[in-house]
Amino acid sequence: MTITEQMSTKPQLAGNHEAVVKVRGLTKIFKDFWGRPKARAVDNVDFEVRRGEVFGLLGPNGSGKSTTVKLLLGLLHPTKGHIEVFGKSPRHVATKSKIGYLPEESYLYRYLNSRETLEFFGNLFHLPKAERGNRAEQLLEMVGLSQVHLRSVGEFSKGMQRRIGLAQALINDPELIILDEPTSGLDPIGCREVKDLIIALARRGKTVILSSHLLSDVEDVCDRVVIYYGGRIQAMGTLAELLAKPDAIRITSPALPRATMERVLALIRQDVSEDKVRVDTPTQNLESYFLEVVQRARRAAAETSGATSGAQVAPYLRAGESSRSGDKILERLTQAAAEPEPPATVSQPGPAAGVDDKKLAALASPNPSPSAPVPEPVQKRVDLDQANEKLSSLLNKPPGQ
Amino acid sequence: MQRTLAIAWLTWKAAFRFRLFLVISSLLLVSVVALPLVIKDDGTARGFTQILLTYTLGTITVLLGLSTLWLACGTLARDIEDCQIQVVATKPIARWQIWVGKWIGLMSLNAALLAISGAGVYGLLTWRAARLPANQQAVLRNEVLVARGSAHERSYDNDIRQETEKLLRERLEKGPADRVDLAEVRRQIREQVRAEIENVRPGAYRPWEINLGLARHYLKDQPLYVRVKFNSAERSPSGTFEALWQFGVPEKTEVYRPGPMSLAPDTFHEFVIPPNLFDENGVLTIVFVNPNNSTLLFPLADGMEVLYREGGFTLNFIRGLGIIFCWMALLCSIGLAAASLLSFPVAAFFALGLLTMTLASGTMASAVEQGTIAEFNSETSTRGSSPADILVIPAFKGALAIINLAKSFSPVDSLSTGRSITWAQLGAAFFQIVGVLGGGFSLAGIWILHRRELAVAQGTQ
Repeated sequence: MTITEQMSTKPQLAGNHEAVVKVRGLTKIFKDFWGRPKARAVDNVDFEVRRGEVFGLLGPNGSGKSTTVKLLLGLLHPTKGHIEVFGKSPRHVATKSKIGYLPEESYLYRYLNSRETLEFFGNLFHLPKAERGNRAEQLLEMVGLSQVHLRSVGEFSKGMQRRIGLAQALINDPELIILDEPTSGLDPIGCREVKDLIIALARRGKTVILSSHLLSDVEDVCDRVVIYYGGRIQAMGTLAELLAKPDAIRITSPALPRATMERVLALIRQDVSEDKVRVDTPTQNLESYFLEVVQRARRAAAETSGATSGAQVAPYLRAGESSRSGDKILERLTQAAAEPEPPATVSQPGPAAGVDDKKLAALASPNPSPSAPVPEPVQKRVDLDQANEKLSSLLNKPPGQ
Repeated sequence: MQRTLAIAWLTWKAAFRFRLFLVISSLLLVSVVALPLVIKDDGTARGFTQILLTYTLGTITVLLGLSTLWLACGTLARDIEDCQIQVVATKPIARWQIWVGKWIGLMSLNAALLAISGAGVYGLLTWRAARLPANQQAVLRNEVLVARGSAHERSYDNDIRQETEKLLRERLEKGPADRVDLAEVRRQIREQVRAEIENVRPGAYRPWEINLGLARHYLKDQPLYVRVKFNSAERSPSGTFEALWQFGVPEKTEVYRPGPMSLAPDTFHEFVIPPNLFDENGVLTIVFVNPNNSTLLFPLADGMEVLYREGGFTLNFIRGLGIIFCWMALLCSIGLAAASLLSFPVAAFFALGLLTMTLASGTMASAVEQGTIAEFNSETSTRGSSPADILVIPAFKGALAIINLAKSFSPVDSLSTGRSITWAQLGAAFFQIVGVLGGGFSLAGIWILHRRELAVAQGTQ
């Protein structure tokens, strides 16, 4: 029996301790015309975001996530408390050249087409004409809008508007990217691409702040999260700290002969009572399954008039010394978006089920079910090892160091 | 500058994508072409041209002014309400640059629209002038399609003030008066003194000495144009009054005495006089003899004016458009300043209200002149006083001083009467209207936008 680690596209991100964002005692009270308090949107919040990490602001609607984001961007003024972004006030103009922001809705000029939109924002970053054009082209390719770049943004679907919104947030190759509900309105392919992009950017040492009420978004990409409720931070820490169940383990393996299964279970039952052991068939999650279906359709050359899948992270976003180390991973990640990997081995949590012989027999059969493909964790490990080796050779370092 | 120009470029894009530019420029051109078909004139080429200039330039000013206010309020307030500014303000662009970028965008748009409509008016004028008989063309070239300097009699303000105070003192020596009466008595004496200068009784004459200043050096052998206006308390059976004139001083300069003229009251009359009637100091002496049985009144402000050729019409026309452009710049600043604080409909209402108040400043001027906001009592022919006067009158004075910075220029009137609009006037207009007034509104607007929380609005897209 082989015990595999949970395989995920989420990398172990290497944030350092340099704080890019510092928030101390942040409070925001909205007031009415007469100055009377109307709503306490953010209440005495403290946190830090370190360079290179993906930091999640998680919470239900109206919990204060977006208000916090707008305070970080200087669009709102704190009632109390202190904010530093790159050591400066959020309203410091020059600092904004290091920031990319995707708002919760696509607040773009509806009469501009997507290329003009990127040209306009490129101008605000004082980019030279050639560089603007180059980046715009790469970004449009990346977000899958290069074929519709002459259509005005007002004619776009919500998902397409999110894509161009994301592109404008990256036009300056920012060091800090603030994404407010980035997957809102996107189809599953778009969601996956955005998440892959976030991970890729973090690999390059970019800092990402992600505000979302979608747990899967946060879980898939974030290193650390704060959970908001009622304007206050209810929990904060790394996902491992917050989600780990140290008193339970999960073993996943290829289908085993019935005899082997019985031996393993007998062994486990020596230490754990039967009602605490759960055996089931791993199922792929819906996202993976959907991506597989779409990929099959794409291979059959199905055409679409909407956004196409962005297959490449814009080359300029991969440029630079630090990016060289991430190039192969970026490629792997974007490849993953274009060609979804075999279904993940993550099983969906469900109610604890007892072990019965019938179920055991089904599980032990060599080909349990056509709808539940067998994962290929070993092959995946090989791919990762190859990527690591390539990466190491690029950096002139032996693997593992 | 790249950032500021990017914002300006955005304004142009919006104007074209929403077909705003097309609609406004079409509207302006239609008004320029269509107005001459419906306006009524006195039947002369000069009268028609004057009315054409007045109406078309007036219409252009009103249309452009309203669209400027509307667009200025809309371009910023809508950006804030629709939240696009939330994306722009998170880029490395200062808020003053956003504000100035919007201003530059709107003003460049205005410049283009003004150029198109101005070219339309100019083209129409020259086309129509070319179709007139030669003698009428000459009249137009000399009196309307020209830039003429203007000379007036010296100001009598000090004389009137001194004479008023002297008479008031004499009156007070005869008997005391309380404070309220004193103001009214002073006003009445002032009116009497002024009337003494303005009135020409039956059989009497009135001389004017008008100094042409430095212009005398290039006005030798050049004809001069006299523009007069008088009022009469009585009506004549024919509707006109006889006028006898003498220009120049016997034995000192050449003298010109035209034949008796029959002139209507309450309107301007213009006639040409021969060259070289002024003395070596450039003083032209004009004498009017009143052979009528009624007293005629020549207002001090515009009763007598001498006009002389200074330059061509084309440059004068461009300078006139320049002053209109300065007004647009002020309206643009007002609209943007209002939109920096208020939502679009409220900002538009505020800006239009301010414009209306400015146009109706005559009431304020009247109250200031009378020294009270109390109503005129027709039975006693006097005005009372109001307790609010102590606050309102100084406030009106202040408001008028500000309003007059913009209203003291009248390019449409100058162009339609063939008067010169000098570069100095254009410079003064730019300083007063764009620099002082527009600058004040701009600074206020930029400060408000700088302080404002831009993410309070929820998107309305």
